[in-house]
Amino acid sequence: MTIAEEQITEERSEMLARLGLDGQNKASMGRVLATGSIAEATERADGTMEATIRIKEDEVCWEPAILVLPHGGDLELTVINDDKNTHACLLPSNGDQKFLWLVNHSRGRATVRLDGPGYYWYSSPGGNDEGRGLTAAIVVQGEVPPEARLDRPSQPRP
Amino acid sequence: MTVEYVDAGEAVNHSALSSMPGIAPAVTNGIDYERLLNARSESQNWLTYYGAYDGQRYSLLDQINTGNVSKLSPAWIFQAGQSGQMAATSTYAFEACPLVVDGVMYVTGWDGSFWALDAVTGKELWRYKHAVPFDVSLCCSNVNRGCAVANGKVFFVTPNAQLLALDATNGDVVWQKTIGDVRAGESASIAPTVIKDTLITGSAGGEFGVRGHIDCWDLETGEQRWRTYTVPKPGEPGSETWPADGEAWQRGGGNHWVTGTYDPELNLYYAGTGNPAPDFDGGVREGDNLYTDSVVAMDVDTGEIKWHYQFTPHDLWDYDSTMEMTLFERDGKKLLGHFDKNGYFFVLDRTNGELQHVTPFVDRIDWGVITRDGKVTPRKYPDKEGEPVHFYPGPAGAKEWTHAAYSQKTELFYVPVADVGATATRRRREFKEGIPYWGAGVQVDIDDMAGSVSAFDTYGEEKWRWRIDYPMAASVLATAGDLVFAGTPTGEFVALDARTGEKLWEFQCGSGHHSSCSTYSVDGKQFVVVPVGWGGWLEGIVPGLLGQGHGSAVIAFALPD
Repeated sequence: MTIAEEQITEERSEMLARLGLDGQNKASMGRVLATGSIAEATERADGTMEATIRIKEDEVCWEPAILVLPHGGDLELTVINDDKNTHACLLPSNGDQKFLWLVNHSRGRATVRLDGPGYYWYSSPGGNDEGRGLTAAIVVQGEVPPEARLDRPSQPRP
Repeated sequence: MTVEYVDAGEAVNHSALSSMPGIAPAVTNGIDYERLLNARSESQNWLTYYGAYDGQRYSLLDQINTGNVSKLSPAWIFQAGQSGQMAATSTYAFEACPLVVDGVMYVTGWDGSFWALDAVTGKELWRYKHAVPFDVSLCCSNVNRGCAVANGKVFFVTPNAQLLALDATNGDVVWQKTIGDVRAGESASIAPTVIKDTLITGSAGGEFGVRGHIDCWDLETGEQRWRTYTVPKPGEPGSETWPADGEAWQRGGGNHWVTGTYDPELNLYYAGTGNPAPDFDGGVREGDNLYTDSVVAMDVDTGEIKWHYQFTPHDLWDYDSTMEMTLFERDGKKLLGHFDKNGYFFVLDRTNGELQHVTPFVDRIDWGVITRDGKVTPRKYPDKEGEPVHFYPGPAGAKEWTHAAYSQKTELFYVPVADVGATATRRRREFKEGIPYWGAGVQVDIDDMAGSVSAFDTYGEEKWRWRIDYPMAASVLATAGDLVFAGTPTGEFVALDARTGEKLWEFQCGSGHHSSCSTYSVDGKQFVVVPVGWGGWLEGIVPGLLGQGHGSAVIAFALPD
């Protein structure tokens, strides 16, 4: 998996930092959602995707803030809590949400199945972790299968 | 020094951290086409969306009746709730009709949720939660209208246009099929219908300029049997009702988003279709715009449209005709009754679509006039760019998607009526895939509205009316106990005398009603069940109650032991 720094303009990054939107107890109590990094999942030959998501010390946010998948399917996640506090992870998955308890300095695993295209939120569902910044996105790229598309000429998109 | 991580293990299903057993009795194994054909005679169960293929929402159960309904009280309450983020958080609501099979209840909710409940105690037996993208296009809220059951499985659709077959004993996925294009603005909310060895569904997304379609799927494998588009291509029958040289047909709408009815003798599925797109800008789609705002009678084996009847030609008011096509007989004649958004009650010969008569069923109609023999004359509609036009009924209609009932005992229809107007101001816009395509700004009245449950005979003559201050926004149920059940937007669940309209009982459910109640019995005890929770397309239906509290309960009522 490759983790890039924020794929946003430098101007926006500077403004987020200057205004204190991208950290804990700066502008507000928590970190504004989706102000962190972006990463792409890797894909194995069988189409299964892999990625690592983690909680860094005292940042109370998921790293990356946006995880991008090339298509729908199965995603194997390594979930790490590097914080000195206990958190949890509640992930969307077809069939049922997946829950993982994350004590301080712990590492676990989760396998989720997601349709594409579209994007999903996941979080740490304890206390108000979700509001403080521990809510992040998984973005699934791609198109629906050809047989599910409308029988009409290609249409303009925004 | 490197400190080894504590092993947090593998994530578990969220429902594993609950008291539910995760398993239900295998009650649906024996449900086949023969049983579905005779669903009403299994009065202890509610086997299909409407209770029977005819769409009457009428039960033969009469243990609860006019003489004892005053003693009705809650037997149990199931609270659904929600964990984590979901699409359209502000609009979720129950819009489903619970099915019941031999003591097990199957209920669908918003955001890909499905629950199997013990119908006697309300205890959750298993749940299924599909992951629905946060950004899915939902014209009219995060809702689902219900499921189908057969051959040991339950079937339902999700907002991101997936059709699922689940093992009815544990909720495990048997098969999954993508039935629409979410990038095009398609979604799904319909309760599927099992007919023979197939399943029929329709699409949603008419407010995004999609091309509506009705689909048939193999019950066991999910393979597609046929797809019929409700807007014809150039050269196909009905294409003459669209601009010949334009692109309008490609974005024409006409979605089938409410379950149809079925006559097994005629082998016809009666599908209601939705509004044309753009909803309010007719200038880009001159013509009648078939088969929007219509009933299409389809051969269930081939999907061929055998006949059609259009209730609002060249719609300019968002008057979908997706609502129930109730099948009934009168003087030996096979008929179909339909209460349309446009405020008129239509009765057709269902063998050929021939109109029998048309009558108004709401007090205020000024968008146009339809004579008793079906001649349509539009009068008020958004026409000039930027010029506001007020009309009755508003775009949610004189009856929204919520269903009427027809009693075989009283031979009356019981109709949830909404009497509210709206103002539309035409604002032409370019079409872009996945972006709302209304062609107007629309505001529904918030200070002048009314509603009722109204009873009509089959000729459209009103027999009684039970009035409320707000538009009705929930389905009605009729029973052989001479009762009519209905929920109000302000939370009351009421029982009315089917012959007089007198209110005999009410219970305040704590949130508004926007779903379909049903009735069943277990071990000889009759229950009436209603999913409760205010939400849905409230800005269209009754924006004056947009700020009412949400809810998410299923409540079952019974007489004391």
